[in-house]
Amino acid sequence: MNSFLTPAIAGLTAGGTYALLGVCAVFTYRLVAVVNFTGAAIGSAGTFALIALTESGYPTFPSVIAGILVGAAVGVLIGFIMTRWFAEANPSTKAAVTAALLVGLIAIGLRLTGGQHPRVMPDLFPGSAFRMAGVEVTIASVLTIGLAVLFTVLSDLFLNRTRIGLHLRALSDRPLAAELIGVKVRLLSLLVWGATGAFTTFALMIIAPQRSPNFMTLSLLVVPALAAALVGLFRSFWLTLAGGILLGVVEGLASSVDSISQYRSAIPFLVILAVLLWSQREARWDDAR
Amino acid sequence: MSELVISSLSISRSELPVVTEINARVESGSISVVLGANGAGKTTLLEGLSGIIPVSGGTIAIDGSEIQKARPGQRSREGLAHVEQGRTIFSQLTTEENMKVALRDGSDLSEAYGLFPELMQRRTIRAGLLSGGEQQMLVIARALLTRPKVLMIDEMSAGLAPVIVSRLMAAVRKLADAGLAVLLVEQFAALALGIGNRAYVLRRGRVVYDGDCKTLLRSPDELHRLYLGG
Repeated sequence: MNSFLTPAIAGLTAGGTYALLGVCAVFTYRLVAVVNFTGAAIGSAGTFALIALTESGYPTFPSVIAGILVGAAVGVLIGFIMTRWFAEANPSTKAAVTAALLVGLIAIGLRLTGGQHPRVMPDLFPGSAFRMAGVEVTIASVLTIGLAVLFTVLSDLFLNRTRIGLHLRALSDRPLAAELIGVKVRLLSLLVWGATGAFTTFALMIIAPQRSPNFMTLSLLVVPALAAALVGLFRSFWLTLAGGILLGVVEGLASSVDSISQYRSAIPFLVILAVLLWSQREARWDDAR
Repeated sequence: MSELVISSLSISRSELPVVTEINARVESGSISVVLGANGAGKTTLLEGLSGIIPVSGGTIAIDGSEIQKARPGQRSREGLAHVEQGRTIFSQLTTEENMKVALRDGSDLSEAYGLFPELMQRRTIRAGLLSGGEQQMLVIARALLTRPKVLMIDEMSAGLAPVIVSRLMAAVRKLADAGLAVLLVEQFAALALGIGNRAYVLRRGRVVYDGDCKTLLRSPDELHRLYLGG
């Protein structure tokens, strides 16, 4: 039993991160209509700011805050590019622009952070939170999942119970109509980009010590994040949350089976393929008729 | 007394002039009707006024304050409301949420429900599920809640049953009588001229008639000639 439970629980940390990144992707898509490929790269920028500061001898806590602020600032910068020059572009163009920006961010990130050599990332939350069925559940696992759940709950509450949330929902529905009745469209869009940048950065700070923390590896966490978002069909925060956690658990389980462990990084692609095929089934059925 | 003054306004699309040297005035308590055939530049004029597209020359002033360089949101806050054609509701929001988005200090949902009581019964319904007429009422009500000085409405009657159009026209007249300045772009000339005070007829982006609505209403041949030229 434990031979499956241990890797499954080990996958929870990654699952929580996928979930949080996925929920941020859904948040960005629902509110500013962009499938954002730069999400994890934005978080990587903030995470590497933390690494640079701690390597320079700055204390951890202020460095974490500074890293989160850097992530938020990079998010706002990407948001500025999208709202300034691509606000009226169609969703495909916007997605293509963020894919291009991802490539640019990775190139700059690798250049500034010393290429693909892993850096020493301080473990912000080391140790075990509790034992479950004889298996240690790490603080990092609890935190990432907790943060993902918190972000999901806050997103729901914020969007449905606040005036700014109402404005954001209007903005996501019809940006121009919202602007014509005085909604501060650019400001709110930048707020969305900044907030998701900050949350993404914190999530990556937690997971980075368990990954090979180089800029590209962290930036490409956008793939499982988008797979999770796709499980929620880019609409449901809760399905995205569940999809992200499940993806992490499945990856963890796959790592315990020798014959498939080396292919576990392909799991998000399989999920993306499966969801796309499933979502297109009606069109294929109609074609067949 | 609020007024919108348009002076020598020109607007281009893809560098082609669509509206050229327009002069017009929309005064508080009156309805100015903009008429013209398809492609005359009516919608472009409104889009230029509200800032959806930039103007290439001239000035737009509300109560003496020039707004032609402001973004659409700023123009809205200056008192210019634009009801676009096509009933641009927020379809995922309820009727009441649509209106709450537009609420400003001093505005109240009861004003909107007073004008269109139909919306009260449909306040918890998702706006996308409303009928065409109700959606048109909603976008007008939503614009009103921004506390505008000038209300511009584009093709209000498009695709609606005559009984609904009459209901909407009466509501717009009521708004003007209450002191609002209204600029109405309309395909159905007779209906619009019936409630309007001043008419502008556009042909190929230029004003070819600027005068009293009643005069034009009594001269259908003249209106026909203005539309088609000659």
